[in-house]
Amino acid sequence: MIDSVILEGIAQVAQKHLGWRGPLTADMRLVEDLRLDSVRLLTLAAEVENRFRVLLDEADELAIETVGDLVAIVRRKLGA
Amino acid sequence: MPDGLPNKTLIDLLERAGRHPEGGIRFLDRAERDRWVGWAEIRERAKGVCGGLRELGIGRGERVALVFPTGLEFFEALFGILLAGAVPVPLYPPVRLGRLDEYFRRTARMLEISGARLVLADARVRRILGEAIAAARPPLGCRTVDEVRRTQDLNISEAVRVEPSDLGLVQFSSGTTVEPKPVALSHRALVSQVRAINGCWQDTDGRRQSGVSWLPLYHDMGLIGCVFGALDRDIPLTLLGPELFVARPALWLRAISRWQGTISPAPNFAYALCLTRISDAEMEGVDLSSWHTALNGAEAVSLPVLRAFCERFARWGFRPEALTPVYGLSEAALAVTFSDLAVPFRSVRVEREALAREGLALEAEEGREIVSVGRPLPGFELEIRNEEGRVLPPGRVGRIWIQGPSLMEGYLDAPEATARALRDGWLDTGDLGFLRGGELYLTGRAKDVVILRGRNHAPEEIERSLEDVPGVRTGCAVAVSWLPEDADGERLVLLVEEARNASSQQLEALPEACREAVLVAVGLAVDEVVVLEPGTLPRTSSGKLRRQEALRLWLAGELQPPEPVTALRMAGAMARSGLAYARYRWSRNG
Repeated sequence: MIDSVILEGIAQVAQKHLGWRGPLTADMRLVEDLRLDSVRLLTLAAEVENRFRVLLDEADELAIETVGDLVAIVRRKLGA
Repeated sequence: MPDGLPNKTLIDLLERAGRHPEGGIRFLDRAERDRWVGWAEIRERAKGVCGGLRELGIGRGERVALVFPTGLEFFEALFGILLAGAVPVPLYPPVRLGRLDEYFRRTARMLEISGARLVLADARVRRILGEAIAAARPPLGCRTVDEVRRTQDLNISEAVRVEPSDLGLVQFSSGTTVEPKPVALSHRALVSQVRAINGCWQDTDGRRQSGVSWLPLYHDMGLIGCVFGALDRDIPLTLLGPELFVARPALWLRAISRWQGTISPAPNFAYALCLTRISDAEMEGVDLSSWHTALNGAEAVSLPVLRAFCERFARWGFRPEALTPVYGLSEAALAVTFSDLAVPFRSVRVEREALAREGLALEAEEGREIVSVGRPLPGFELEIRNEEGRVLPPGRVGRIWIQGPSLMEGYLDAPEATARALRDGWLDTGDLGFLRGGELYLTGRAKDVVILRGRNHAPEEIERSLEDVPGVRTGCAVAVSWLPEDADGERLVLLVEEARNASSQQLEALPEACREAVLVAVGLAVDEVVVLEPGTLPRTSSGKLRRQEALRLWLAGELQPPEPVTALRMAGAMARSGLAYARYRWSRNG
């Protein structure tokens, strides 16, 4: 799956489950730009897993700061 | 329980439960698959951990921290520590996708304060914990259950003798780097609490009690209320992890339906989350009619949420009388008051101005509506006192003091903080409320704590994150939370003084910059930022910020920059207080 498709999927998750309105770009940071508190971060992680049918693990999650980081991890998981 | 305190320990409860095959825990995973583990198996596994801990030299009264997600390993570790005569200190695992710097600092601080000799952790959590462990340096480091477990020489556990007066748990009432509050609870207090709660629900011919919980196991309501409660009686307990609930709240209600749950508690925010994040499709086939006790505590209870929850879930058999607002705090090992289990929640409307200005609860049709959190549990006493310690009559707002069999021994190794909270066997809860018809109504807090989503946060920690925000006057910001009447939960508000030399650009960006700083540092979403002129926030004579007073003034629309005291101003103040008195008299007579 290519990055733009994954990004689109994450945007849909953000719209549906986090009430995000507006465009979502890879350089956006989850906390500072998407304004996600801890409960919403958890929601994002879980819904991204549901959507792409992947399981993120803690080591992956440590490295995730931006939407682009999340896209990259999902791509890697899907390829594995 | 007749007079006198129970002469039992958690170990006695485990031994008893281990002999009854019907008791145990059912773990649910994200696919709603279940795994049942009886107490006998948990006890056997815990013995293995106990053997390993003793081999490491862990002895009676020593503290061992544990950091696990909800699962069997948590129980092996917890009861292994207890069987070894040691004291478990449950800490929370990192939040998914969360920023780790603050987590590390906080965890390291809690490890230091608790004096933990060893940390037991899940293998995955341990990989992440490294930095916190390196900073706190517990003497025996961090190990997994598998590393510690010994299968030979199970009898090693039998030798440890624990008394009911020994500590059985250290529970952090708020995780913070500024002033962590490790609540030290004895076995006796824990067993007393469990007995007081369990006395509220009996098995009858037609109804076998069954618990369902997604609450974190490092939280008193999850651990003491649900787990120890189930341990004391043969109440089967179904558990799912908090991260599963937050990701998909329907899992909670579906578990209650599937396993015929009768008792399931949660903080207010959970009921609110169900309203917004559960679809009708997910509720297909769900029957909530077995759920007769839906306890709602650990944070302020919102009446709009209670009503909306009843309305929305009535279709699936939810009964309004199930909703049970309660009040408690870690310092009392959990619950202090319960509202009536068999009837719908009650509320009263009181005159806003008299409540805000004079601390008087006068019934008024259009007044502020406050929910009852019920009466003290058997064995507990409750008094409303003024600031001088005098007991106030019903209808007067004051500090809530309590006495009962499950009060903490104190804050661990903190005699001064303990002396401030415990006096002559009474606990100053720091909460404000009034009594009416023997029932407690909460109106606010005198203590400085921000309570959001059932978790306590130290305001200092939130305020510290504002220090580097350009345009904020250094050390002149307060974080407060409160429950507006029509809101679904407490709101986090920052009252921030601008720096004298702040540029107009900085001022314009100030609210957003403050929100971002708090989100990054402590993971909390701020609901409102109020920018104030320098010198506006009220302080004590020694210069400390008065957070609750600042909140009160802000809510009353009276948070004003200081003016020099003049005779005219004094006269104005006296006239205002005279007016308030007249209004009070008038409303009493009218």
